[in-house]
Amino acid sequence: MDRGSDRIVSCIVTNLLSKSYDNVIAVDGIDLDVKSGQVFGFLGPNGAGKSTTIKLLTTLVQPTSGSVTILGINAIKHPLKVRNRIGVVLQQPSYEPTLTVEKSLEKYGMMWNVDRKQRKDKVEELIESFDLQEIRKKKNEDLSIGQRRRVQVAREFMHEMELLFLDEPTIGLDPSARRKLLDFLKNKVKTGLTIFYTTHVLTEAEYLCDKIAIINKGKIIAVDSPDELKNRFGNEKTIKIHMAGIQQNLLKLLSGIQDCKIDFNSGTNITINSNKSELVLMQVLQLLNKNNIIIEDLSAMPTNLEEIFIKAVNDSNASSS
Amino acid sequence: MHPVLRLVNRNITISINPGFLIWQIIFPLIYIFVAGFAYTSLIDDVPFENTKLDYPTYLATGMIGFNIMNSTLISGIIIWNDRRHGMFEQIMAGPFTRTDYILSNICTIGIVGMLSAAIIAFVGYPIFFDSIEFSAFTLPILIFASIFGSILFGSIASIISTRLRSSEGFNVIINTVFLFFAFVSTAFYPVSGTPEPLATAFYINPLTYLVDIIRAGFFGTFSNFIITEMFVLIILAVGLFSIATRLLTRLDF
Repeated sequence: MDRGSDRIVSCIVTNLLSKSYDNVIAVDGIDLDVKSGQVFGFLGPNGAGKSTTIKLLTTLVQPTSGSVTILGINAIKHPLKVRNRIGVVLQQPSYEPTLTVEKSLEKYGMMWNVDRKQRKDKVEELIESFDLQEIRKKKNEDLSIGQRRRVQVAREFMHEMELLFLDEPTIGLDPSARRKLLDFLKNKVKTGLTIFYTTHVLTEAEYLCDKIAIINKGKIIAVDSPDELKNRFGNEKTIKIHMAGIQQNLLKLLSGIQDCKIDFNSGTNITINSNKSELVLMQVLQLLNKNNIIIEDLSAMPTNLEEIFIKAVNDSNASSS
Repeated sequence: MHPVLRLVNRNITISINPGFLIWQIIFPLIYIFVAGFAYTSLIDDVPFENTKLDYPTYLATGMIGFNIMNSTLISGIIIWNDRRHGMFEQIMAGPFTRTDYILSNICTIGIVGMLSAAIIAFVGYPIFFDSIEFSAFTLPILIFASIFGSILFGSIASIISTRLRSSEGFNVIINTVFLFFAFVSTAFYPVSGTPEPLATAFYINPLTYLVDIIRAGFFGTFSNFIITEMFVLIILAVGLFSIATRLLTRLDF
């Protein structure tokens, strides 16, 4: 891996990149600029165009129009040059059913022309890092979905690369395996690896990504760091109040407060969303106090990435319709 | 190592398993040594070109062609498994081109075809030893038959594997096609004496050409007809290989 320079260069640059299948536009003129040494999160609802974008960037499919430059190489003209320098973990499982875990790691290294000694060392290192000791002699066909996914992700680290595409890599993983993988990836990024990461689990994106793009209906609707996205979309805060007893007329009491959107009300628990959370919280507390309603618990939380994602997608859907 | 060789290495590793070896070695041996000798009481000498062969000899040489055909099934199985288990896409996202993938399959079936032909020839040798007429052409003819037979049947298996996604569909079609090839051919019995529609069907079957050429190589019975069969085998192999390559190149993700 060439890490000779600390300059931040662009690993992925796309310009008006589009892909259509039989008059259906899967990717619609997207512009991306992914800098090296960062984890770039790529989020979007089902069918938004995430996997097609990954296939375009990894040269698996040819674009209908637009340009793609990967690691400074024109990916449309020189796809093999690009593929020699990247790693790809696709969304769907890929495995050789009759091979054992260690054999499939070893063979994958061989396919990438890693020399025998290095392969042996890498296999041991990855078996350790991905907790594969107990299943190393098991055949892929006998593994659970989560185990197979772990092997699939581990396998990609058998070879050196400058840019890694991960399409929902944590599907099927239990929480501890998921966290372990995210930490493994974080450490890899520290050594200079750039990661293009798609996921549905937004807490993962929040934990891992330096920059996030949200795609909807084939178009990029937002690109920024998680914090900046929160600033842009997340003025709204969530207030949760737990009361001592059931309050029948709570909705009526709170109806006079401006910008107080009641999201959930069970009589004892209430969730309020507001853009002016401090003001609303003060007014709610005054009202509850005035009506002798005892508060058992209270919290005010900033908007998380999931809410931002939903808001951005909803805004985009509303504007396109 | 060249990308094609790396893929061949991988193909052979995933294909060679106990089931495949049993299929490739035990199955033909049962035919040669059990059916071959058991049918001797029913079938006397078998006419072939301008000579006559005893039935075990006729069958043993037929089984070489049969085994080449069977071994090429792995080409279809590799492609079908790679598509089903996501490895086709994964390989194509790696340091390989589609041409590398296609060439590696051809090399794999060529190697497996020649090895299985050599094994059956070696094992069956004591049976057809007396009738063999070695000449300068024997070995080149056998290599020619192994290579073009492998390409031809490998291409057929590849074409089927690119068209079908379900395991049931793939197994039914491939077994039906290969069953037709095996039993409507001169691998097990001569064309002479068979009723007319069947006799014609024998010659729309490429396995007939393959085993005729192999027998001609072993028994030195070259005729214009055998040379015509060699040309037909080349044309069919090249044509089907082109179709298989075209279909593989067009496979979408």
